[in-house]
Amino acid sequence: MKALLLAALLALPGLAQSKAQSFVLPNGLRVVHLEDHERPLVRVLLQVRLEPTDTPPGLGGLPLLWLRASDHSDAAEFKAEAFDRLLAGAGIQLDRTLRAAGVEWRLVARSRDQDRALGLLADRVLRTVFDPAAVEAQRVACWREEEGLDAPPGPRLRRALEPFPGPRPTLASLGAITLDDLLAFQARVVRPDRAVLVLHGDLGLEQAKRLVFLSLGPWTAAAPSPRQGARLPAAPTTEGPVRLPAAGTGLRLQAVVQAPAEGAPEAEALLSLLVPADPALAPLRVASEAGDLVITLEAQGAPAAWRLFHDRLEALRQRGYGQADLERARTAWRARQSLEALHPQAQLTRALAEVLAQGVRSERLASLSLEALNADLRRWLDPARLRLGATGSPEALKTLPTP
Amino acid sequence: MRPLVLILIAALALQAQAPRLLEVQERRLANGARLLVVERRGLGAFHAALVFRGGQAEEPAALAGATDLLARALYGETWPEDLEPSRTQALEPLLAQEEGLLESLRAEHLRLRHDPTSRGQLPELEASLASTQARLAALCSTAPLAGLYASRGGREGAEPTADALVAWTELPQEAFEVWCRTEAARLRTLQLSRFSAARAALVATLRATPAQALALLRGAALPGHPYGRALVDNLPALEAMRRSDLRKYARRALGPGRLTIILVGGLSLEQAAPLVEKHFGTLPVPPDGEEALLPEIPADLGDRRLQASLGGDSRLLTGWRIPPRSHPDHLPLRMAAQLLGGGSTGRLASRLAAGKAVARETALGMDLPGSHLPGLLVVDLKPADGHSLAELESALHGEILRLQQEPIGAEEWSRALAQLELDDLRTLDEPAALAQALGRAWAEGGDWRLLDLEMQRLRTLTPEAVQAAARAWLKPSHRTTARLEPSTADELNPLEAQTAKVLNALAATRIQDPAQREQLVAEGLRQLRMLSPDERLRTLKLLEAQLAPEKR
Repeated sequence: MKALLLAALLALPGLAQSKAQSFVLPNGLRVVHLEDHERPLVRVLLQVRLEPTDTPPGLGGLPLLWLRASDHSDAAEFKAEAFDRLLAGAGIQLDRTLRAAGVEWRLVARSRDQDRALGLLADRVLRTVFDPAAVEAQRVACWREEEGLDAPPGPRLRRALEPFPGPRPTLASLGAITLDDLLAFQARVVRPDRAVLVLHGDLGLEQAKRLVFLSLGPWTAAAPSPRQGARLPAAPTTEGPVRLPAAGTGLRLQAVVQAPAEGAPEAEALLSLLVPADPALAPLRVASEAGDLVITLEAQGAPAAWRLFHDRLEALRQRGYGQADLERARTAWRARQSLEALHPQAQLTRALAEVLAQGVRSERLASLSLEALNADLRRWLDPARLRLGATGSPEALKTLPTP
Repeated sequence: MRPLVLILIAALALQAQAPRLLEVQERRLANGARLLVVERRGLGAFHAALVFRGGQAEEPAALAGATDLLARALYGETWPEDLEPSRTQALEPLLAQEEGLLESLRAEHLRLRHDPTSRGQLPELEASLASTQARLAALCSTAPLAGLYASRGGREGAEPTADALVAWTELPQEAFEVWCRTEAARLRTLQLSRFSAARAALVATLRATPAQALALLRGAALPGHPYGRALVDNLPALEAMRRSDLRKYARRALGPGRLTIILVGGLSLEQAAPLVEKHFGTLPVPPDGEEALLPEIPADLGDRRLQASLGGDSRLLTGWRIPPRSHPDHLPLRMAAQLLGGGSTGRLASRLAAGKAVARETALGMDLPGSHLPGLLVVDLKPADGHSLAELESALHGEILRLQQEPIGAEEWSRALAQLELDDLRTLDEPAALAQALGRAWAEGGDWRLLDLEMQRLRTLTPEAVQAAARAWLKPSHRTTARLEPSTADELNPLEAQTAKVLNALAATRIQDPAQREQLVAEGLRQLRMLSPDERLRTLKLLEAQLAPEKR
């Protein structure tokens, strides 16, 4: 009878709770498993860490070209087009994103297709057969993507300010990358000891272990990783602001700034709530996007625009937050944790942060002092770390003084 | 123990009897508002969407931009001073004063534009406005995280669309009553205390946006129809809109009869309904107003073409007028869109980009800008180096003919079906996506059940039905083609500037109201952008000929 009761309880939808379980493959790949049988779906996140020093001097944009070229090359025994058809035929969605911290593949599939989905992900990541023609075609495409030639001015500016892993591409640097550089990059970076895999959805732990072992177990690295480490602090920006003329448009100033690597994740989490919700920054708009602060001003007149931009940020930086603000942010952050259940992808992102020791710990959150919070605020909004840009009519940009 | 076993067995039996994909519970409130609840047991939070049907398409011309402004001014954030009666009363006289000053300033700016030599009252008015706004700011929240939802860890946002205004909130479950109380108070009060800042921000955003190819295509494909309107062409009306105008409009447009409340999360109907009834059920029903009468556009309007230079790369945009979502051909057309534009394996990408290599980029969008009324299916193609727009156009027409005439292979069919099924499964799995999909089905198709029905009909859809729909709707008489040629800003600007000058001068001889005049000029410039540079030059000369020589 007890067994019947247990079976019945497990069969009731919604009662099964997601709980994270971790394991490490013999090859060093770290895996997190989150079980959730609510729908017949499986989600996968694979992140491979990138470091600024992965790109040799003069080869700016190497990670971008490598990623684009591998997307358009054959994978294992499949031609590039056949590979795409296999994915589509099984209704598997595979997206990849290049971030400053690493490259991410996100996959969603019906749970009945999980074996094939993991197998295809492994083929795409581990068994790329670079096609020289695809590399050539993607060289131009990379430049278009970087310049955002087809995009409206707003998204183009945002893209130009996006933190990039290593030096940004230029026409010359993209032209200098050879097939050997791509292969060397692949060998240097695509290693199990640099990767974290998160699995979420309709599969049990034992099933997950079997699946990961079969698909990613054979993944090996040629030599030990030369670097193991935490995030490197972002170097202060030395370049002037990006200026993107766009005829007939209003003036927009923008800054993007990454969270300081040397800061505590708890301070970063609270500041990501406090700064965007601070009315004192108006007319600046601040958004927290994937760990970066994006600060925007739609300016009325060019001459005083940068001054207004900097004055608002500097005033906050000098003033800092008070104890009441800190308490409000703590309460809001704790309450917000329940919202993650509404977003399966956010659960994967959080699990990844936990593995990378970038997750927020409740006890550290409770003991975070106001001084530590404000010290991180000052680091985060340090003018030397802001990557600045402006878009607007050529006339307005001409009259925009250098900040 | 025995009752527990019986309850569990009964629960399992109920689960087994449910054949539907969606478990939605519905309740109609006394004032006409609808409540939909999708319970997700075990979740400690909820996603709530307030869907007001109507949207941009139903705005009167004089209030163009009202839906966008409501999304920003009413729903952007949730401040206590907009909801607590003592604080709203303190704000009200200052907001009325601000409205008067803004209107006086606008009139003064227009007067000075007409007569720049006269001594204006601009400095005095600006000083008064600054002083009023400072007093207003002193009554508003200044602390970070003072927002009612932000302080509870919540998220909120609003999206204005052609068919609806959708305001959404995510909160922990224990804040449900706060949410009900807050949202009902927001709709009762309609304070709009940040109206002037929201309007200025919207105008700045629109000014920062260059002329858009898709807006051009919409205007040409759906002439005179609200779906064809571009907000950027109505900036004078937007700048002239007053807070009191918007409040009056909102009382009608956001009435309970136009509202569906959608909850997805750890709440059951039994838990949610009493609180929703208590707070939303007592919202006043506005007196019967006239429903917006939207013009109908025949799909067979003829094959329309336009050529424009907006800067940027060459681009071919082709739009077909398609039926609204409630039409039986809409679902087959969704499948046709998937076959054509479904990622890298869709026909456009695999044949025009990878195969024939005439296209560098391909994209397809459906139901633009909405689908409550007949909208557009749009294919956006960029030519590969060395290929012309004419080649691209011919290749696209070939693909459309192929879809209409050649049998669809079984493998291709199952691939498209698998992709749509995964999309549907993800929609069911993600609370925000599910709430949005239910809201769209209701606002666009008139019934949320359409979502469930479409998911089920997809499984019985046949290739023949898709081909029949493609033949009926993707035909030349439904088509509008926009060829966008590259040009530099230097080439365009003097011509456009001179045209604007002449149009302004002509309008000034016929129209007294400066706002109407600006609107007319903006519309004239928009239409002229559809012509080739040569045609535009000829038109400019014809217009100039109508002016006295000293005014040219």
